[in-house]
Amino acid sequence: MSVNRRRTTNTIEVNFLAGWLVIVFLVGLAGLFFVYLKNQQHAVGNQCRLVESSLREEEARDEALKAKISSMTSRGALQHRLDDGYIALQAIRDTAIARVTPPAPAEVDGVLRTASSDPESRFGPGVPQRAINR
Amino acid sequence: MGRRIGVICALLVLIFTAFAWRLIHLQILKHEYYQEIAAVKHESRQVISPRRGRILDRNGEELAVNIPVQMVYADGSHIHDPAALARIAAPFLEVPVEELTEKLTTKNKYVVIRKGVSEEKAQDMIRAIDKANLHGLYLQEGSVRSYPNGEMLCDVLGYVDHTGHGADGIEKTCDEELKGQEGFRMIEHDRKGREIVVYRGQEQPPENGCDIRLSIDMGLQAIAEREVDEAYKTNHPASATAILADPNTGEILALACRPNYDPNKYNEAKSDHMRNRAISDMYEPGSVFKIIVTSAAYNEGIVDDKTRIFCENGHFSYGGKIIKDHHGSGDLSIHEILMKSSNVGAAKISLRMKDQMFYDYVRKYGFGTRTGIPLPGEIAGLVNPPHRWDMLTKTRMAFGQSISVTPIQMVMAMSAIANGGKLLKPKLVLSKGEGSAELHEAPIAQVVKPESANYIANALEKVVSNQGTAPLARIEGYRVAGKTGTAQKISPHRGYLMGRYIVSFAGFFPVNKPRIMGIVIVDDAKLSETANYGGSVAGPVFSKIGVKIARYLDMDPEPSESLSKQGSSTATVSAR
Repeated sequence: MSVNRRRTTNTIEVNFLAGWLVIVFLVGLAGLFFVYLKNQQHAVGNQCRLVESSLREEEARDEALKAKISSMTSRGALQHRLDDGYIALQAIRDTAIARVTPPAPAEVDGVLRTASSDPESRFGPGVPQRAINR
Repeated sequence: MGRRIGVICALLVLIFTAFAWRLIHLQILKHEYYQEIAAVKHESRQVISPRRGRILDRNGEELAVNIPVQMVYADGSHIHDPAALARIAAPFLEVPVEELTEKLTTKNKYVVIRKGVSEEKAQDMIRAIDKANLHGLYLQEGSVRSYPNGEMLCDVLGYVDHTGHGADGIEKTCDEELKGQEGFRMIEHDRKGREIVVYRGQEQPPENGCDIRLSIDMGLQAIAEREVDEAYKTNHPASATAILADPNTGEILALACRPNYDPNKYNEAKSDHMRNRAISDMYEPGSVFKIIVTSAAYNEGIVDDKTRIFCENGHFSYGGKIIKDHHGSGDLSIHEILMKSSNVGAAKISLRMKDQMFYDYVRKYGFGTRTGIPLPGEIAGLVNPPHRWDMLTKTRMAFGQSISVTPIQMVMAMSAIANGGKLLKPKLVLSKGEGSAELHEAPIAQVVKPESANYIANALEKVVSNQGTAPLARIEGYRVAGKTGTAQKISPHRGYLMGRYIVSFAGFFPVNKPRIMGIVIVDDAKLSETANYGGSVAGPVFSKIGVKIARYLDMDPEPSESLSKQGSSTATVSAR
């Protein structure tokens, strides 16, 4: 008597397979997530580099402009401009100066000096401040 | 069939075993070797340059600043098409295309192409290169030093050389503080040479250099520069020097020399113009030195205000030589000796002093030693010790011959007369770094008693009177004390050069409360012998500077009664 040794059906162990599929899926997902994060990191790093470089550029430009301003407004440059007639010194009339301390013209030369708000430097310590407007 | 499958399987196993072995070989056994190769290729230490500190005047005015620039360098290992790269970069770098192509045809990883490229041009160039999808040219940050005032104060500031180090002046002496500490960052870059920020390694930020605040006041400096410049153009001397200082603190307020140079173009300057004559030139001071012998003798009680010295009517024979006065006189007091600048009187005072005592005073006043001003190249002058003197040396030294001094030494010695006898160290640096405390120096020595200093100061006030040698040094409205000096120039072949003089005036004002000490030295003015005196050449320069300073500092004029002894300014020069 012949016996059919084959089984009539092959059972698929869904639970077992599903378990593996989930594991593989999770591992794959984790891998993709890792790659995504890595890409994000690089993208952010790139942005960071660009921001840093533009910041540095702006700082450098700022410093260059400051140096330019400083050289254009320096005493030496202004003196040259004055000598060349590009700018002129305008005398301020005495009546246009508001004095907080009395003017102290020189005895002989009569030069009018700039106003000083520090009476002690002008008259020595202990002198009360006098406010005179002219 | 089964055998074939077996063979195929065995082959596959062998292949994969070989792959696995190779992987193990690469990743584990040769790990360090390949890691090193990768590191050389991708890792680098990026230097972060510090900002060099600024130099400021006492009021915060900028005297030396930095202009950011880029250095362009090539990495030959990244360049695939040198000609194309050169065509794009050449216009930005202002270099001929052929020359640039030649430079870019290299395998070296670091070839400097151009230094000092402006920030804008450098960035535009990089953008153009990126747009063309080329690689191999990179930027390294740097800066060039700029001196906004040009030639003004060049002798104090000095300059920074092409290596970025201070080469002269304050730039050199304060280089350590100014340059700061460079930082670094370990970086990895991709094959295009761009940094991979994610793999940024160890990092140390740079420490910027400190700002140095000088005691110089640019307002006063501008005044001194203008007047020295005018004297230089009018009298055509070999050189002209002016120093202004605060006699109470030793602070140097202005220092101007002619000829000078522009530190922005230091490579175009003549070496002779780059010398700071205030500290590195020595000269025979002439009659200004009479303040030393008179103050020393008065301090030792060898002479007093009643002493009268017979001045041999201007011809004193001593040691086989004749000592002459410009105008002969009979008996003169110490005040009159200084006022009339009598060589005979000064020589006779020196003869009353022992050699060693006179020498000690000369040294106590700071002659023969460096003052310690923080500038490179200062010399000590020349003071021979007594055992090397001949019979005449002491009498010659009394009126400023047989001795060589520097202008800065003379300023400090005269300051000692102005401040009550204290010798101070010249102070040029007020503070180092923002918020740092001001640097204070104690006086070096009390050279003479305050009474002795005041006695000499009162005598010096008469020098600018109508009877004195320098009425033209007077400043209207203020009491001025000072001393003229007219010294013959030393010949390089021994002896003196006929008709060639170094004339000077050293003085201070206001006498009762000195605020400004100044010296003006004019070396070898092209004037006739009868016009070339300290009182007529250097004195007026001092006066012009003084008038402007008084206005600038808003100094109170002194009451007319205290000015009466100096008389009016219409007098003429009567003596040297």
